Amino acid sequence: MFNYTFHWRPALQALPQMLQGTLVTLQLAILSMIIGVAFGVVLALMRQSKNPLIHFPATVWVEVARNTPALLQIYMAYFGLGQLGIRLDSFVALLIGITFNNAGYLAETFRGGLRAIPQTQTRAARSLGFGAYQAFTLIVLPQLFRVVFHPMTNQMVWAILMTSLGVVVGLNTDLTGVVQDLNVRTFRTFEYFAIAAVLYYLIAKFVTLGARLLAWRLFRY
Amino acid sequence: MKWMPLAATAALLTMLTVPQAFADKLDDIIASGVLRCAVVLDFPPMGSRDANNNPVGFDVDTCTDLAAALGVTPEFVETPFPDRIPALVSGRADVGVASTSDTLERAKTIGFSIPYFAFTNVVLTRTDAGIADYEGLKGKKLGSVAGTFEAILLEDDMKTWGSTSTFQGYQSQADVFQALSQGQIDATVVTSTVAFATIASGNFNNLAIAGDAPYPIDYVSLIGLRTEYGLLNYLNLFVNQQIRSGRYQELYNKHVGEGDAPDLLIPGAYY
Repeated sequence: MFNYTFHWRPALQALPQMLQGTLVTLQLAILSMIIGVAFGVVLALMRQSKNPLIHFPATVWVEVARNTPALLQIYMAYFGLGQLGIRLDSFVALLIGITFNNAGYLAETFRGGLRAIPQTQTRAARSLGFGAYQAFTLIVLPQLFRVVFHPMTNQMVWAILMTSLGVVVGLNTDLTGVVQDLNVRTFRTFEYFAIAAVLYYLIAKFVTLGARLLAWRLFRY
Repeated sequence: MKWMPLAATAALLTMLTVPQAFADKLDDIIASGVLRCAVVLDFPPMGSRDANNNPVGFDVDTCTDLAAALGVTPEFVETPFPDRIPALVSGRADVGVASTSDTLERAKTIGFSIPYFAFTNVVLTRTDAGIADYEGLKGKKLGSVAGTFEAILLEDDMKTWGSTSTFQGYQSQADVFQALSQGQIDATVVTSTVAFATIASGNFNNLAIAGDAPYPIDYVSLIGLRTEYGLLNYLNLFVNQQIRSGRYQELYNKHVGEGDAPDLLIPGAYY
C-alpha cells in the first residue's frame, strides 16, 4: 500500500534550485565526455600496439573501467586517493571517476571503429604523400567518428546518468545532490525524485537530439 | 420465516468482517506478529553492528522493547538516514526507531511520537586541523550528513559568517568520519554521543572533540505514518512507559555510559 499524499506546490517551488543543479550535471557530463573521448582514442591506439609496455597499461585501464562498478571507481577517486594523501574535492573526484569509466568503454568502441576502417585507406593516404600522423588525423579519425557516433551518444547519456553517483562522495551541487538535500530536509522524497527523473529524461533527450543535429551537420555526404 | 436464519447468519458475518475493514497499522502489526523497525546502523551508540554483524545499540534495544510490548517479533530494516521515510511510506518498515529530529518541515510528511532521546552537539575535528572551538570553524572546510538537524544549523551559521568556509554534505555518518580523518574536511558538528562512541571505537585515532556547538537540544522521536493515529498514540505511551519504568535510564547506561540520561521535558512548554 502506498500511503502518501503528494505535495506538488512546495516541491515545484524548489525547481529553480534543481535547474541550477541540472547545469552542474550537464557540465560534469560534457567535461567527462570530452576528456573521455581524448583518453579513449589514445587507449584504443595503445591497445593496438604490439609493444607490451604500451599495450598492457591500456588493457588494465579498459579491464578495470569496464568490469568494476562506476560507484566503486568514483568512491576510489575520492576516498581511495584520499587515503594516499591526495585530497580531491567531490566535483573533481566524480569527474575523474566518470572520465575513467567513459574512457574505458569508449576505448573499446573506438577499437571496434578502427577495425571497421579498411587498412587500404591508410595505405592509399600514405601513397598520396600523407605522413602517418596526417593519414590518421585527416583520413582515419573523421571516418572513425562517423562509425562510432551512435555508441558515443549512448555513452554520453550514460555519463549524464552516472553523475547521479556524486552524492556518495558528498557532491551536493548537481541535480541528484540538490534533490537529496531537499529530500532529507523535507522528507518529500517522491515529489523531488519524480521531478529529478523528468529532468534527467529531458537532459538525455536534449543531448540525443543535439547529437543527431551535429551528426546531420558533420556527417552528410 | 425461512429467511430469518439466513439473515441472522449474514448479519453475524457482517459484524465479524466489518471491523476488519477499519484495521489500522497497529492492528496489522499485531496480526502479522512482526514489528519491522527502520534503524540506522552507522550511528553508534544508537545503532551499529557488533563483531558478529548483528544490529546493536540504543535504537535497536528500543525497537526490541516496543516489539515485546506489542507481543510481536522485532525485525530490523537497515536504512541510511535519507531512506527512513521512503522505507515507511513504501511499507518496508512499520515504525522508524532511527534518531529522527522532530522538525516542523518533516512533520508535514510523517508523524512523530513524543521525544524518546535528546542530543547535544559537539565539534569533532582532526587533531592537526588547529580548531579549538565552534568559533574556530570559520574559514574551514566543514561537512556533515546532508540535511540533518546539525547540518542545517551549521549551514545557517556559515551563511552569517560570510567567510570562506565550505560545506560538504555526505550521505552517511561513516563517510563524514572517513572524509574528516583523511582531510577532505577539517571538522564536523555531530551529536556528542556519536562523537564519543567514534573516538572510543579506536577506528579514528586522529579525531578529537573541540567543545560544544551552541545549538538547541536536538530532540528525536519515533516515527510512523502521519495518518496512523492509533500507532502514534501507542508510540507516545510506549516512550512514556520507558521513562517511568526506568528502562530509558537503563538503556542510556548500557549504550552511552553511566550518568543521567537527557531530560526529555521541554522547559516551560507542553509537548
